[in-house]
Amino acid sequence: MAATSVLLPSADLRQELTRRGAGDVGKCYQCATCSSVCELAPTQSPFPRRQMLLAQWGLLDRLAADPAVWLCHQCNDCTVRCPRDAKPGDVLQAVRSLVIEKLAFPAFLGRFVAKARATWPLLLGLPLLFWVALLGLTGHLGVPADLQAGWAYEQLVPHVFIYGVFFPVAGWVLLASVVSGRRFWKLLGSGGQRTGSFVGALAPALGEIAVHRRFGRCGAAKPRQLGHLTLLWGFVGAAVTSGLLIVGMYIQHLAMPLPLSHPYKILGNVSGALLVVGGAMLVGNRLGDRKASGTSSAFDSFFLGVVVLVIATGMTVELARLADAASFALTIYVVHLGAVMTLFLTFPYSKFAHMLYRTLAMVHARLSGVDSPR
Amino acid sequence: MERIGTFICTGCGIGEALDVEALAGVARELQCATCTTHPALCSPEGVALVREAVAAGTIDGALLVACSPRAKMAEFTFDADKVAVERVAVREQVVWSHPPKDEDTQMLAEDLLRMGHTRLAKTQFPKPFAETIERTVLVVGGGLAGMEAARAAAALGHPVVVVEATSALGGALAASRDALPEAPPFDSLHPNRIRDLVEEVSHHPAIRVVTNARLTRIAGQPGQFSVDVQTDTGAESFTVGAIVQATGARPYDAGKLAHLGYGQHPDVITSQQLEAMLASGTLRRPSDGQLPSRIAFVQCAGSRDPEHLPYCSAECCGTTLRQVAAIHRDFPSVETAVVYRDMRTPGQLERFYAAVQNHPKSFFTRGEVAAVGGNGRLSLTLKDSLLGNNVALEADLVVLAVGMVPNAADGEAIRALHDAQRRAQTGESETQREEARKLAEKLAAHEGTEILNLVYRQGPDLPALKYGFPDSHFICFPYETRRTGIYAAGAVHAPMDAAQAAEDGWGAAMKAVQCIEAISRGEAVHPRSGDRGIPDFFLQRCTQCKRCTEECPFGTLNEDEKGTPQLNPLRCRRCGICMGACPERIISFPDYSVDAVASMIKAMSVPEEFEEKPRILALMCENDALPALDAAALARKPWNPWVRVIPIRCLGSTNIVWIAEALSRGIDGVILIGCKYGDDYQCHYVRGSELAHTRLSNVQETLTRLALEPERIRVVELAHDEFDRIPQLFDEFASTLEELGPNPLKGF
Repeated sequence: MAATSVLLPSADLRQELTRRGAGDVGKCYQCATCSSVCELAPTQSPFPRRQMLLAQWGLLDRLAADPAVWLCHQCNDCTVRCPRDAKPGDVLQAVRSLVIEKLAFPAFLGRFVAKARATWPLLLGLPLLFWVALLGLTGHLGVPADLQAGWAYEQLVPHVFIYGVFFPVAGWVLLASVVSGRRFWKLLGSGGQRTGSFVGALAPALGEIAVHRRFGRCGAAKPRQLGHLTLLWGFVGAAVTSGLLIVGMYIQHLAMPLPLSHPYKILGNVSGALLVVGGAMLVGNRLGDRKASGTSSAFDSFFLGVVVLVIATGMTVELARLADAASFALTIYVVHLGAVMTLFLTFPYSKFAHMLYRTLAMVHARLSGVDSPR
Repeated sequence: MERIGTFICTGCGIGEALDVEALAGVARELQCATCTTHPALCSPEGVALVREAVAAGTIDGALLVACSPRAKMAEFTFDADKVAVERVAVREQVVWSHPPKDEDTQMLAEDLLRMGHTRLAKTQFPKPFAETIERTVLVVGGGLAGMEAARAAAALGHPVVVVEATSALGGALAASRDALPEAPPFDSLHPNRIRDLVEEVSHHPAIRVVTNARLTRIAGQPGQFSVDVQTDTGAESFTVGAIVQATGARPYDAGKLAHLGYGQHPDVITSQQLEAMLASGTLRRPSDGQLPSRIAFVQCAGSRDPEHLPYCSAECCGTTLRQVAAIHRDFPSVETAVVYRDMRTPGQLERFYAAVQNHPKSFFTRGEVAAVGGNGRLSLTLKDSLLGNNVALEADLVVLAVGMVPNAADGEAIRALHDAQRRAQTGESETQREEARKLAEKLAAHEGTEILNLVYRQGPDLPALKYGFPDSHFICFPYETRRTGIYAAGAVHAPMDAAQAAEDGWGAAMKAVQCIEAISRGEAVHPRSGDRGIPDFFLQRCTQCKRCTEECPFGTLNEDEKGTPQLNPLRCRRCGICMGACPERIISFPDYSVDAVASMIKAMSVPEEFEEKPRILALMCENDALPALDAAALARKPWNPWVRVIPIRCLGSTNIVWIAEALSRGIDGVILIGCKYGDDYQCHYVRGSELAHTRLSNVQETLTRLALEPERIRVVELAHDEFDRIPQLFDEFASTLEELGPNPLKGF
């Protein structure tokens, strides 16, 4: 018989889960309808019934080491079919946010972002204030008097500011992510033996993500899959465009701004369009069938809000330049820079971190052999 | 009957399949008063033929050669004082189940007609009934079920006497403040209405309540029970027509649950102790008087445990849910943790369970308590958790949801105890006396447990069935006990919660009223409802063997000192088990007797040439086997043409003489088909089928001694829905008989 583990049926944990949108976890009576309807659950270690039980028992440590928490894509087939309305999809979503907070480095930032319901003005405002201060102190808060039509943004905010801020930010985010990722990887390892190479498993995992193969099996949340996929490729396209632009500027010495017919520009605009469409689909989905889309906690809404803000300001920035409204363009550009900085800085602590954890969980699942979805 | 009219229906394919003229010829040979054929006997014109013959006084017995007695019942019901009816089911047993225009088929139909004619010839009219019947219903026990039974009987126009052992009505539920939800949406506590019910019953004009009362004696029979009651202030006697026993249940003795910590730790209490705390509004740990911060409830404490109560006590899950909800309401800081094996939520309780479970201070988990330990704060070790491992749970107070034990006395055990005590004194040899002493010791727990104090030969209380509850097979025979006119209701009947007990009270009261109504017309109650025949005992030839008095499942017969049976006809259910038991064959009913069936067997034609025409006698219980036979015919499942079916009231009514008669007549084999018996019995007379099996296994031994193969007799259990087995049963038996060869007595 397995060792005795202490049960901690804690009203505190119930409250915490309730705060994160999983107030119905107590309703679960372990019928396992959820595990049987889940299209993603591996046959040999089905979820989310077990995770529901661990959540009821208050065993967060066990949940943090459980790859199933992340293999779940919140299709909400379970939530739609649950005879007790315990909403397993929401419970796993809440558990994921708890795990993100638990593994965060440094911990206080994890707590800070986890309380997004209260801290969102600071999370958005501080980076914005930083940019306003930086640009103000360096005399860039106004439109230069000699600005000619066909101006480029570098004439408003020199690129050195962007590089000077975002390279350290990216470095810091990378560091925090590596620390959290290592913690998570270690926890996963404590739950199951892995055999094989990390990279060997990472490649097929990324391949799956690229086409959203798992997400595609979802029933109730099928519409979300397309929105999410569109958004993902929009971001990938935007990132590639950014890389190409650096190449274009410093190696090819192209003149900025590029004409709309330039391949880089086309790629950028297509990516932008994907982002707008994907973002709109996800927001529309949230506002639609609540049960199928899950309960929106502040944690979820904050992340989606920042993404939408980044997309909206990003697109507006381009349109404003084309409309030659320099003053307006600068204002929006500053907001955009602030929002992007928020998005980057909160990556390891917000819902954005699912990119990190889910990928690792998928790799772990491949290496430990638990992953044999039906 | 002397003037028998035979009416042959040629509808439903009978006319096409049989040579009706030849069939009518058989009837004429039997010297019938009339013999008529009609293309649709159940039509108004056909029925009128019978009516006219009865009205004209031409006939006093109508032999209807048509369909099964289970079909066209309304059409073929006539004035039972003027004409006896016998139905020969040629449609089901011949035409639908055998090839048309076939020699064997025709012989079968002719045999059935002869047999039916013989039975009718032996039938007599029932004696007129002229007894005075009391309409009062006695309710024993003034708890919820008893009070609801009293209300129900009063509402149906019967006077009611409620006899309550304690000083006040209310019973076990009077102790609680809250009740489980009784109305949609079934998700929150309701106030306990038991006090309103007590008010209503106490002041009801048709209900008389006797408190602090003890039943000292109940003698007689339904419709005429004479009841003696002893109270603090004196004794009284009255007569009642029927009795509802609603004596409820008591909590299982928690002292036996030391493995759950009871008696070992002061902070382990029972749900009844918690109920008292909740009713008084104080929730305190017994050890230190502090408000507990977490209470653990242990479900199935004693229940579903072969060492304690092997059954589910049905109400403990609901009680715990109610107490948890009350704690969350009254003591919001207290956490509750319920440890269950399975939460069982009958009726609408599931909704309440969901609501209670979702309270933020609620915690439910599956597990079996393996140990309760710790000083100060208690720690429960749970095994068999949902993840398979052992888990621990800490709590300040542990509440055991103890199961229920019926407040019933086992009448048969008490009787057995008294018999053993007597034999221990008067036994013939020392060995006998020693054995009796041992038995008495084993049954000692039953000493002084009497509740009803019935003057019945088979014991002073209802016989206990499974687990000591005086229940019957509830699905088939709701509310029945094995004492006619006495019905069990509420938790004494079976483990149940309040909602079920209230409904049970009404159900039992309606059975009691039905019983009074039926016997006031001289009719039997379930399952031979409407039967007016009463068994006749030819006592001059009685040898006082006591088989009838011991084997009657309903305690109908008392005994005098010598052991001569004393009939209480109103207790009788007309099963005929006494008739089957009697070695002297002195018991008979006006329309069912050893002689009648034996004569039917004699009326069968038994060809001497075995190779062509073996014969099988099938004695089939009219309750389950015969309907199954009809169903087989309806499904057009053909069966062996050698078989001749005689419907009997119960396999238990089979007198061994019939078997002897059949074998000596040269019939090659006898198959008896009756109901399932055992723990989940389906026998409508509880133990008739089982008795038949025992008796016939003795007969098979006798056959062996007589150099006849025991395989010539087969006893089969058949459920109502197993009609598709019937053709196969007959075929298998026929092939067994073929292997054995002809009955050596054939032709003698």
